[in-house]
Amino acid sequence: MNTETGVAHGATATEDRLGRFAVKGVFWRKYLDWAVVNLPFFFYPVPLTFFTFFFFFFAAPARRAIVANLAVVLPGSSRLMNYLRAFRILYNFAWTISEAAIRRILHEEFSYEIVGTEWLEEVGAAPGAIVLTAHMGSYDLGAALFAEKFHREIRIVRAPEPHPETAEHLQASLERSGESGVKVDYNTAGALLSFDLLKALREGEIVSIQGDRVEGDIAQVASRLFGAETKIPIGPFVLSLVAQAPIYPLFIARIGCRRYEIIVRQPIRVQATGDREADIGKGVAEWCVILEEIIARHWDQWFALVAIFAK
Amino acid sequence: MNEPSPQFYFALPRLLAKMRGGDASRAERNAAEAWFGSLAIYTISYLYFAAFVPDTWSWWMRALFFIALAFLVMLFWLVMLYLNSLILKLLHRVNLVRSLPIRRGQSVLVAATATAMAVALAQRDSIVSELGAIWLIATALNLVAAVILAFSNGDPARP
Repeated sequence: MNTETGVAHGATATEDRLGRFAVKGVFWRKYLDWAVVNLPFFFYPVPLTFFTFFFFFFAAPARRAIVANLAVVLPGSSRLMNYLRAFRILYNFAWTISEAAIRRILHEEFSYEIVGTEWLEEVGAAPGAIVLTAHMGSYDLGAALFAEKFHREIRIVRAPEPHPETAEHLQASLERSGESGVKVDYNTAGALLSFDLLKALREGEIVSIQGDRVEGDIAQVASRLFGAETKIPIGPFVLSLVAQAPIYPLFIARIGCRRYEIIVRQPIRVQATGDREADIGKGVAEWCVILEEIIARHWDQWFALVAIFAK
Repeated sequence: MNEPSPQFYFALPRLLAKMRGGDASRAERNAAEAWFGSLAIYTISYLYFAAFVPDTWSWWMRALFFIALAFLVMLFWLVMLYLNSLILKLLHRVNLVRSLPIRRGQSVLVAATATAMAVALAQRDSIVSELGAIWLIATALNLVAAVILAFSNGDPARP
């Protein structure tokens, strides 16, 4: 793992063979950036629908993972319906990443509604806090809006890209976009990042982490979601316990064309009682209740493109 | 609570909004408008290319072609957008329309291409000629609305 460029050695054999044209390859990222600069506003819907069809068939592992996740989130629904829902999720994903690119490259304005204003104000004023989010809606856009609204720097921890070129492109486009308030760190198996984040929290920074799925060798804890066994990253809860910083659950859902809903929930406080495992377990359980509620409501925007639940 | 008046991208709905006391400034956040524009362009180009199918083809050959055409039309537009981007780059290089953003330039070239196809459709002896005529009328009305908005100071230059 290269922590500086955010490259993971996790590409599959097919991805390696396809190289830059693989689903997570740099070609599609660059094509999206090109399209954002070139496509007129009224041209988007049909091409996005076509690209959704394309990826629905060619991004088979993601499609299968979505269907498997939906079987747990929406029990009793047929497999066929879940395939149609998977299409809907990929369609929403296409819109979401396009709009995130529009924001990043063209700096167009977006409107948003806030649910839980008091909690968001609290995060904005907090001397060091963890924003725990999920692979839902546009979390990049959410971080940019947050930094802009509160004039505060936010550190996003994200999973490393499987391709070096993709990682380089992502890094360069983030730097070019001038989102000065957003700093990106990559999730690694090592302890170095944890110390960095702890230091950042103690210095009063806001750290944003995705807490709905575990990829690679990062530290994890077993939990239950929708009655099924799953793994949740343990990092945010350990950080909260050690730094005594509150965890604010925050989600961004797309509610229309360039319109988003920012949902903030009551903070989770991981109190130190002397029993580390129990303290963390309590925090994780609280998080899972909130995550379950949000996913149940916005399952069509849950972009966890890997199977989350144990078979 | 007062609802904000809806905003539009195309000149015609913006002019209508203005006449009703609403907001005439250009906005790119009306999904219905985007779908309308996208589907209209796609339909016009699909019908334009569909007419090139020879009558001598068997019904299943034609059916297969019409399914494939849905993807081929998409491919056509992707190539067209790329060629348009080269034209716009060239124009920018020779100091022409430099202030026009690429997306707006593409908008003009895409609409011009679709209009040329609509002209061809309107001259055909079938029901599709009606669709071609509707496109031409809508485009003409939109252009007139753009001129009215420009003269009434309702369409300020936008970077």
